[in-house]
Amino acid sequence: MNTQKVISGFFIILAMTLNFGFFYGDIDTFTHHSPYELFFAIVVNLIATILKLGDKTQVGSVLLATSLVADLQLLAAAIVWGVSIYVFHGDVKNYAQLVVSLSGGALMANIVSVIIFMGDTLKSKR
Amino acid sequence: MHNNIFWIIIRRMRTPLLVIIVTFSITILGLVLIPGVDSNGQPYHMSFLDAVYFVSFMASTIGFGEVPYEFTYAQRLWVLFSIYISVIGWFYAIGALVTLIQDKNLILELNVAKFNKKIKNLKEHFVIILGYNHSTRELIKQLTVDGKRVVVLDKSQEKIDELELEHFVPEVYALKANVESPDILRLAGIKKRNCKAVVSLFDNDFKNTKIALLAKLINNKINIIVKSSTTEQTQHLKNLGIKNIVDPFNLIANRFYLAISAPHLWILEQMLFGHDLYIHDNEQLPKGKYIICGYGRMGKALRNSLQKAHTDCSFIDLKSAKHKAEKKSAIFGDAQDYQALLEAGIENAVAIIAATKDDLINLTILLTARKINPDIYTIARENTLDDVTIFQAAKIDRVYILEKIVSEYVHRVISQPMAHQFLQIIHQHTDEWGEEVVEELKRKTCYHPEIFEVRIVKSEAYALTNYLKDGNRIRLGQIARDLSNREKRAKIHFLMVKNRKEEVTLLPDDNYEVKVSDRFLIAASPEAREDFELLINNVNEFEYIITGHELKFGILKNIFKDEEEI
Repeated sequence: MNTQKVISGFFIILAMTLNFGFFYGDIDTFTHHSPYELFFAIVVNLIATILKLGDKTQVGSVLLATSLVADLQLLAAAIVWGVSIYVFHGDVKNYAQLVVSLSGGALMANIVSVIIFMGDTLKSKR
Repeated sequence: MHNNIFWIIIRRMRTPLLVIIVTFSITILGLVLIPGVDSNGQPYHMSFLDAVYFVSFMASTIGFGEVPYEFTYAQRLWVLFSIYISVIGWFYAIGALVTLIQDKNLILELNVAKFNKKIKNLKEHFVIILGYNHSTRELIKQLTVDGKRVVVLDKSQEKIDELELEHFVPEVYALKANVESPDILRLAGIKKRNCKAVVSLFDNDFKNTKIALLAKLINNKINIIVKSSTTEQTQHLKNLGIKNIVDPFNLIANRFYLAISAPHLWILEQMLFGHDLYIHDNEQLPKGKYIICGYGRMGKALRNSLQKAHTDCSFIDLKSAKHKAEKKSAIFGDAQDYQALLEAGIENAVAIIAATKDDLINLTILLTARKINPDIYTIARENTLDDVTIFQAAKIDRVYILEKIVSEYVHRVISQPMAHQFLQIIHQHTDEWGEEVVEELKRKTCYHPEIFEVRIVKSEAYALTNYLKDGNRIRLGQIARDLSNREKRAKIHFLMVKNRKEEVTLLPDDNYEVKVSDRFLIAASPEAREDFELLINNVNEFEYIITGHELKFGILKNIFKDEEEI
């Protein structure tokens, strides 16, 4: 058993599942989407990104790229949410759609990341 | 190379970044979960925005205070805990970043990247010099005076720093690197088309050979100049196909032979280094018996040249290392040494050569010899350029400085290829021939002519090239004219010309027909050199020399023309 694989696998898959957990629900209702879940999704995604840093291989680079995309989308979602509440105070419905769809994009990136991670693991003979 | 810098940073920053993310997320989450009380006494929960805001200024120790409302004791307990973990995490990350900036590997990679960029942008011809020592320092000085670009590699950072303190102009690009690695040679631009030569002048022959071989394999066309101090090594290098081999002992022996048996050829050779066209009194090597102290590589080479010149000589076999070990001092001159000198026949010898590897021993040999025979001519081998002044102060008649001889030779090969070829040709002539040339030079130029090369191309001889390209013919005698009066011949003498097909004419006469892309090696008085360079470039001056009239141009042309006709 490779401890490093367990840890990085844990974070990569947790990043995806948290992301999905946040994404799941009615797209224009904020109450269906927990801010705590978004917070954890961001934190776990960031950790996953850093764990992927430093792998010079081709697969490692693509994994890093997917993570960066997910980070970007989730952070954008959080910022839009914050701005909608504190700066614009209204029209919550439109912003809810934007926040959730941004996290949906991040989810796609996370899924790709998990697929590549699994493929790489299956290919490995150790 | 840029990639390497990126990976070094990433590898070092991984843990600090993880620490920051984890500590920040724990503290933020805690602040959001713990209930607080707003200004009206109503319970409330901090939003994520508030929490991120608070933690950001708390961790970085900026500390704007408790926002948005005053904290409860439950919150304060949590903040107390948060301060310790987040501030520690933050400082750890900053500390890691600071160490990273000072990281030796990173600095090295940054230097490599900078160096690489400079080499890539270098458009002029340049020379790669391996190793920075006394010889190459002299060489770099001379090359930069000519405006040549130089790239230097050395394995020690101290040497590179030393070089940078010299502030050569134009800038000399230097890098600390292992000179025996092919990758580094490539990095230094050995494969670039404008790289003209690789110079390796290490004291270690094997190193030189290895570099010569590497350079040859990487770029077959490049001019490799390499030092060799034994005949076997020279032969080995010749077998590799390397043309420019610098053997300092051989060079000295040749010069020595010339100075004894063909003084005029010797003058011609020295003239290329700026020597006057006559022999100074103290330069005249006496004829008679010579004593050579030290029978190493230099001693043997000198013996060969003395024998070739039919001069009587005797030896004192003296090895500097052995001498130092036996006598426990680097000084020559006890009773035993006196005896050795007397046995070698110092009393009736005319000259003594101190040719050991140790400068101090050389100096004391000559001083001791002078005590026994005050009139003896003293010749010293000086190994390094460190203590030139000591030899000068001791009033040694002639000093051969190995490092200087090597650097001058290499400089000539790189910067004055024509002069180099000229020397090789004159070595095949007799001294009588040399005397004629010297006399002619004295008559036609002056006692200390400047030697320079000119190529008949637009960039070096604008007017002359254009004139020739128009289909005109010109003889050498026509342009060797005085600018103030074309009836008079300028103080200029042509030593050699090489045409487009690399055919060499030695001492071309006034009837030689000048062609485009001829290369001339010229001796001239300083004023004549200035005039000549002006006349072959400036259309007006050129017109005057050829026709005897000033060139007229512009709208006044016609008016003045009429005047002349009247």
